[in-house]
Amino acid sequence: MSAPDLLVLHALRCVGTAGLTRLAATTGFEEPDVESELIDLAVAGLVTRNADFGVWSLTEAGKAEDVKRITDELESAAARPAVTAAFDGFLVLNPELLDLCTAWQLRSVDGVMIANDHRDPSYDARVLNRFADFHRRAAVVCAELSVALRRFGRYRVRLAEALDRTKSGELAELADSTSSYHAIWAELHEDLLATLGIPR
Amino acid sequence: MKWIRQLSADVDESADLLGGKAHGLVALHRLGLPVPAAFVVTTETCRAYLRDGRLPDGLDEELAAAVAGFDVVSVRSGAPVSMPGMMNTILNLELTSVAAALSAVETVFSSWNTPRAQTYRELHDIPHDLGTAAIVQRMVFGDRDEHSGTGVAFSRDPNTGAHVPFGDVLFGHQGDDVVSGRSQTLPLSALAEREPAVWSGLLDALSRVEAHYRDACYVEFTYESGELWLLQVRPGKFGGAAAIRVATDLADEGVIDRREALLRVSPHHLQHVRTPRIAPDENVLARGLGACPGVATGRVATTSEAAVRMNGPVILVRPETSPHDMRGLAAATGILTARGGPASHAAVVARAMGKPAVVGVGELVLSEGTLVTIDGTSGEVVLGEPRIVTTTADAHLQRLLSWADDVSGDHSERDEAQRLTAAHAVLRR
Repeated sequence: MSAPDLLVLHALRCVGTAGLTRLAATTGFEEPDVESELIDLAVAGLVTRNADFGVWSLTEAGKAEDVKRITDELESAAARPAVTAAFDGFLVLNPELLDLCTAWQLRSVDGVMIANDHRDPSYDARVLNRFADFHRRAAVVCAELSVALRRFGRYRVRLAEALDRTKSGELAELADSTSSYHAIWAELHEDLLATLGIPR
Repeated sequence: MKWIRQLSADVDESADLLGGKAHGLVALHRLGLPVPAAFVVTTETCRAYLRDGRLPDGLDEELAAAVAGFDVVSVRSGAPVSMPGMMNTILNLELTSVAAALSAVETVFSSWNTPRAQTYRELHDIPHDLGTAAIVQRMVFGDRDEHSGTGVAFSRDPNTGAHVPFGDVLFGHQGDDVVSGRSQTLPLSALAEREPAVWSGLLDALSRVEAHYRDACYVEFTYESGELWLLQVRPGKFGGAAAIRVATDLADEGVIDRREALLRVSPHHLQHVRTPRIAPDENVLARGLGACPGVATGRVATTSEAAVRMNGPVILVRPETSPHDMRGLAAATGILTARGGPASHAAVVARAMGKPAVVGVGELVLSEGTLVTIDGTSGEVVLGEPRIVTTTADAHLQRLLSWADDVSGDHSERDEAQRLTAAHAVLRR
């Protein structure tokens, strides 16, 4: 498994500027542990804290260090072919995920697109049903990734948790909140681009 | 032929068999409008393919006969119900053999069952066994020479419903460059000066298709060496204020009666009728796709850091967005992206935050700090602080609602949706 400091460093690379709560969710560490890693990384000049907002971000040196260590990890595990293949699978799924998030936010009634007010349980059930089907296929890609590099295993857990939170009534956890399925999926997208060194 | 129909004015079969796109092409033929030579492999063929897992016997002989005389073609999907962007399209296919045609048809048919297409059908109540047709059509080249180009046109303005042609044109390019947003298009009216004969042919076509569909229409066209060709037609399906204006105007023009005008406007159209909009006479700098309705004015921030740092309202302007932009998205009053469609990351996040957003505006150079206004309904981008209106169709709406009251016989004070719903109840009785 990747070293804890690399996981925190790379989480900032994928999430962008973030606070402890968000980084704890991303890495699966407790907040004090995340903070301890961040302090060490700050001493090394790799991350910086914005005191006004209490949020952390990478320095230029931190970005360069992340590229180096993530690439080293990928090559020493000889994981590039497997991650590349999984990324192809991700790209097939990506438009469908965005369709599903859009369908959760908007629906067509009498040919008019309106905001989904979540007052029609049968419509929401239909979207969630397709989402569950989607997730089964997404989980396959996540499993391939975590075989290649164990740190990817976290995404499968987090995506499943976001879907479960939605099913239990937290409606913003699919497409809308910063801990939503959509947000985690976008982080995974960013992670794959960063890991393979593909520019946006 | 059992599986194939040559498209002409004589075909009288339904959209269920031909698919919506081919059915529209037949309508264009009947109106005497120019359509590149084409044949359609029917939805029934696709259903046989989906059922048996292979193309039906006899299709190869029919294709061998049908492709005679064709050289370079497009092969497009066309289901009985519109499923935009869900299935495969093959352009610039050289029909060197029957095998090439069979393989292209199979590619289109098999794209019916991608998981994404299945999800789309589930969400839109479209039966899974409907199948798609495949249209094989002679390619016309918008990039042939300096008198060639391509575009899309509405017979009326889809933002306001006003009775003026509206759309985009791209000189010297093929059609997929317009739809993909890869190239910067010009307003349709640029065609009038550059290719007057094509322009007048297009105006004539728009008026004929409107008369046929008795509704505002959308067409895709290409002109090749000065010659106009129509590639697709469908009713316009306008939203909000534009739907109200078109229905009312068509009744006033005597094209439809008032009862039908009332039935064409859903109470849901009224929800968006008072969403703030940039006034119609403002100078539009660029146009993308509206992704979240509403108007936002602010200074351009081209990075999330700048959006957080700058004082006062900002419009976050990005090529596209990623998780890195979350703070900028949160700090911004409105969102503008060069790339992406209505289901892009930026669009999903903008709706989650309830912020006006325009996506897919193309490469647009805006320097940091410039004051701009975006309209998340129409996709318009305007420099500075334009005039904002809360409805572009108030007079039309009041007329339509007075017809509604005449139908229901109830002239009491009620909200607008109730007045319309009461009229619908009588008309649908």
